[in-house]
Amino acid sequence: MFANFRQAMAWVHTWFGLVLGFVLMAAFFFGSLSVFDREIDRWAVPETRFPAQPMPSFDQVLWPVYQQLRAHPLDMAATARRVEGEIPHPDTLPLVSLYAYTTHRDPVLQIGGEFAIPNKPLDASDDHQHVHGWASIDPRSGTYLSQDKLQIGSEFFYPMHYSLHFHWQDLGYWIVALAGLVMLVALVSGVVMHRKLFRELFTFRPHKRTQRSVLDLHNLTGVVALPFHFFFAFTGLVIFAGIYFPLGETMLEPLAKQHQVLEAERTGLPHEPAGEAAPMASVDAMVVEAKRRWDLRGMPGEVGYLFMDHLGDANGYVSIYRAGNDQVALVGQGVHFKASTGEVLREDPPPTPVFAINEFLTGLHLQHFKHWLLRWLYVFGGLAGCVCIATGFVFFVEKRKKQLAGHSARLIRWVDALAVTTVTGMVVATLAILVANRLLPADLPARGLWEERIFWYSWLVMLAHALWRSKAVASGLISPAWREQSWLVVLLAVSAVLFNWIGTGDHLVKTLNDGYWPVAGVDLFLLACALVAACAAKILRRREGLQQPLSPRNSGLQDNLEVARG
Amino acid sequence: MEPTALGIALRTLASLLGGYAFLWGASSLGIAGLVALGMAYEEARTLCMLLAFLLYLIIFLWVWATHHFVRACVILVAGAGLFSAMAVVLQQQLTAGV
Repeated sequence: MFANFRQAMAWVHTWFGLVLGFVLMAAFFFGSLSVFDREIDRWAVPETRFPAQPMPSFDQVLWPVYQQLRAHPLDMAATARRVEGEIPHPDTLPLVSLYAYTTHRDPVLQIGGEFAIPNKPLDASDDHQHVHGWASIDPRSGTYLSQDKLQIGSEFFYPMHYSLHFHWQDLGYWIVALAGLVMLVALVSGVVMHRKLFRELFTFRPHKRTQRSVLDLHNLTGVVALPFHFFFAFTGLVIFAGIYFPLGETMLEPLAKQHQVLEAERTGLPHEPAGEAAPMASVDAMVVEAKRRWDLRGMPGEVGYLFMDHLGDANGYVSIYRAGNDQVALVGQGVHFKASTGEVLREDPPPTPVFAINEFLTGLHLQHFKHWLLRWLYVFGGLAGCVCIATGFVFFVEKRKKQLAGHSARLIRWVDALAVTTVTGMVVATLAILVANRLLPADLPARGLWEERIFWYSWLVMLAHALWRSKAVASGLISPAWREQSWLVVLLAVSAVLFNWIGTGDHLVKTLNDGYWPVAGVDLFLLACALVAACAAKILRRREGLQQPLSPRNSGLQDNLEVARG
Repeated sequence: MEPTALGIALRTLASLLGGYAFLWGASSLGIAGLVALGMAYEEARTLCMLLAFLLYLIIFLWVWATHHFVRACVILVAGAGLFSAMAVVLQQQLTAGV
């Protein structure tokens, strides 16, 4: 179909990159924001603006907290579709397993658990007979954080970057996966397309024509951050491999089940409950023992993850994992106890090479360890990815602006409008949810849902605006939507900072003075965003003034040569 | 040479679905094979998934670049069926008597 390898790669790069680029923008942008998800949470939920807390006492604080935990309405509804009959009232469902997870950046503690249900599954092979409950609590007092309060960083931006909040049939995950694969494809094909890769790496001509300088910037951000982009797209796929290749739940289910039984025998951690009730020994004493063992290994640490299975059963066990502040793996060095007696069942050996590689790759992607410089590099690496994708769109449009005919005029108007929507429009939507978060009444029922709606609606409005203003593109001009939405970014970013000040009293002078970086950092970043957007708007204004509408025939030899290069 | 709409549709299907089906079979066989050689299931699965996504990239590019498109399709489809069947047979032997 193609004359040679390079041409095939150029075609794949252009068209797959274009179509999936819009998804990739969201994955890279919200992924970059997720690097500071916990900090954005503090900004968005002011009652959680206190220092990070260690895992609290289980016996004193957490056990009473778990007594109040109930199955989440969302999972009740999802499970109801998978089982026969009606699920009993959440108050009557017994908690059979529980977990708590915290990191060095968490003032609030994430908890959750599984509740047993008596219902039979509709699909006999579905052996997941549980409904899940989850919540965030204040570990100092054990009080629950209202589910109406949306932790925008970890509950909205973070899942956005891998699921697009599109949960029907997990389709969002699949679309992002396809985009992830296309990112890998675009990186390899992009390198193949360029003969003089090394020279182009150092080429940036910002004062040349838009098309030239945009291509330079595309190559620069693509090549300089290439290992970074490759790593994140690849590990993103690996993290959700279980969703993308559900072999253990389908074709290889017998083998996976056999493994579970063998694994339970090997580790001594029962896979099934015994069916007889048993009391629970002090979990705090188990934590002391686990910490003593970590000390002995020369790696003292705090508890990052606590898990208990078969609660109240003679086979019940407690797993205590060390927080991964100082290692790439999220948590590690698990010590497991018999719940009824507190005796040690097992201490995890060091991971095998395969698991160690997997932990390293996924841990480096998720970055729950403590390294603030690397954290910032992630943000800028991610934003470089956004620049690379966005300049790809702009180059696509600029290259075709010179040879407009009826059909392609419509195409590039759409591409330009979608580019506006996924660049400035996405930033507008992101800022809109932050502004909404500060402006909606504190006790509004389903407050979080309204914040999410405002995010989606404002994004939709930006798309409509971009389409409406795209007529200029068909005359070879810059769409004014870019500039107008940039000004909206300035307005919203500054408003968010102001409303945070008015609503909470935590203005920058105060937060900087107190060294309270989660809120100071978000505010500073918002102001930086406003500044960049204002500069962009001004440059766009100037460029718009310099341009003359082109007639469709006005294409030079130079441009044709560049088209040939892809 | 301008790519045709049909050619693009076929290569898109072959590179994404064909590649997926091939990797489904290859990963299954890889996992079953490694388990047969004594590796734990979870470890085998992790290793095969790490390799599967890299292989997916290679298969995708190969399908788009090759001049022998039909041959590529045959390899993907036949590989998917053959590897899956072999994985199921191997699994039956591994789990027999459990």
